[in-house]
Amino acid sequence: MLMQTELVWLLGAVARGDEAAFERLYGATRAKLYGVLLRILGRPALAEEVMEETYLKVWKIADQFDPATASPITWMVAIARNRAIDIVRKQGDVSIDEEPEAPEPAAETPAPLARREMTAELKRLLSCLGRLDPEKQRIVLLAYYSGWSRDHLASKLDIPVNTIKTWLRRSLLEIRECMGT
Amino acid sequence: MYDDDHDALAAEYVLGTLSAAEREQAEALLARDAGFAETVRLWEHRLGELNVMVEAVEPPPDLWERIKTGIDGAERRTQAASETIEFTGVQPEPSDVAASADSPPIDAGAEPSIQTVADLLSDQAQGPEDSKTAGLASTLLPSESTAEIVDRLPKSTALSKSTAPQATAGTETAPPDQNARRWRGLAIGASAIAALLVAYIAVTHLAPGLVSLGRQPQLTTGALKPATAPQLVAVLQQEPTAPAFLVMLDPQQRTITIRRLTAAPDSGRSYELWLNSNKLPNPASLGPVGNSEVTTRSIPQNIDVETMRSATYSVSLEPSGGSATGAPTGPTLFKGRMIDAAPGSSG
Repeated sequence: MLMQTELVWLLGAVARGDEAAFERLYGATRAKLYGVLLRILGRPALAEEVMEETYLKVWKIADQFDPATASPITWMVAIARNRAIDIVRKQGDVSIDEEPEAPEPAAETPAPLARREMTAELKRLLSCLGRLDPEKQRIVLLAYYSGWSRDHLASKLDIPVNTIKTWLRRSLLEIRECMGT
Repeated sequence: MYDDDHDALAAEYVLGTLSAAEREQAEALLARDAGFAETVRLWEHRLGELNVMVEAVEPPPDLWERIKTGIDGAERRTQAASETIEFTGVQPEPSDVAASADSPPIDAGAEPSIQTVADLLSDQAQGPEDSKTAGLASTLLPSESTAEIVDRLPKSTALSKSTAPQATAGTETAPPDQNARRWRGLAIGASAIAALLVAYIAVTHLAPGLVSLGRQPQLTTGALKPATAPQLVAVLQQEPTAPAFLVMLDPQQRTITIRRLTAAPDSGRSYELWLNSNKLPNPASLGPVGNSEVTTRSIPQNIDVETMRSATYSVSLEPSGGSATGAPTGPTLFKGRMIDAAPGSSG
């Protein structure tokens, strides 16, 4: 189990080119990142490619990580998600009929990182999400977890895309107000 | 401070809902506008914690070797650039490693393996998967409101504040003051029976082959099996400061998985998971929630699928190892109902 402070330290070491630290960082974060990518991309081979790209990028830009503004895992997940969504989006509608296969919970091998307690940020976010209408909660969460575009959400939920757009905008701005940052 | 349009663009960029063209616009803005980049960073901070809910999945064991080869190649390329020695790496070479390191984190730049990735994607089988789609859509029916959930709660689960720490009679060691306060706080929260399902998240399909694929990369992606069952997911959380659980029900596999998103109970206490149904004379214990973060339990054979789907699930605070009586003895911390996601069934 690695605490967040250890991950911050590891990223600092990675920024100085410490390969052993990079391997430890990989060990502590791989299952979470792979879980995120599998959910969005669906296919293990594709998720593995993006894992490679993500960790290479982390290796290159670890010095840009700022512990004052992000947690290590959130920062790394953002890099991975961005890449995955870019890929899915650039394929256009090709992937809409190709549902990602949700992974079974890795119950026997929980990620070391995931053993931490719920963070204050997550509590705040969940309570703010809880204030949205259930329909809007679902849209925000499906978008985050599945990486779906507005068009994809509209087609899956059978809701006009303009409505999705309006709901997303309103929901996100409500979340912003609620979280107060 | 940006106007709402910029903020919404940043938020949707982070959330991932923009089209390809809009993402390009956002990325262009990111590259030249520090204010917008800061807005994006704020949104990554706001939404990023959602990753806690994502199930960790072990990648194939050989992935590390591939990554290591990649960074070794990058190292050698860096040296080669400074020493003007031609290096024939395994990957196309970014024109300037240092320059790519200066680009913002969001801008993936020309990563060497993009072509591979694109090829993989375009090679995907595109067969219609109507049953999967139908199943997914059906899981997205509106959930019941909190009020409906509360209405359905059996009266027996109503709690009084006085049941807080004393509720675990039979536990010999009283918790320290700090913990006593904590448990009292929990029980007071429970007494409101908010039983709030904060969010039904990412109701997805279970692919039995996927995990083994993930763990045994020698199998190929061609072995992916079609999805067989919806998996139901709910976050159970009473209030922002109380413990939270992520509960996943897989009716077909007859398993329920509970993920603790909060501290383990103190020694001498256990969380215990219950299935409550008006078709059963008493709540059925699904066993104590283990000390590990994730606990998976089988649903007892005497409970049919319909009962499983329609039941409410609750978590109570019990003496260590679980209730000795076979019924909940401690305060019920959470109670919630899964969405019935079975296509065509009326939940």
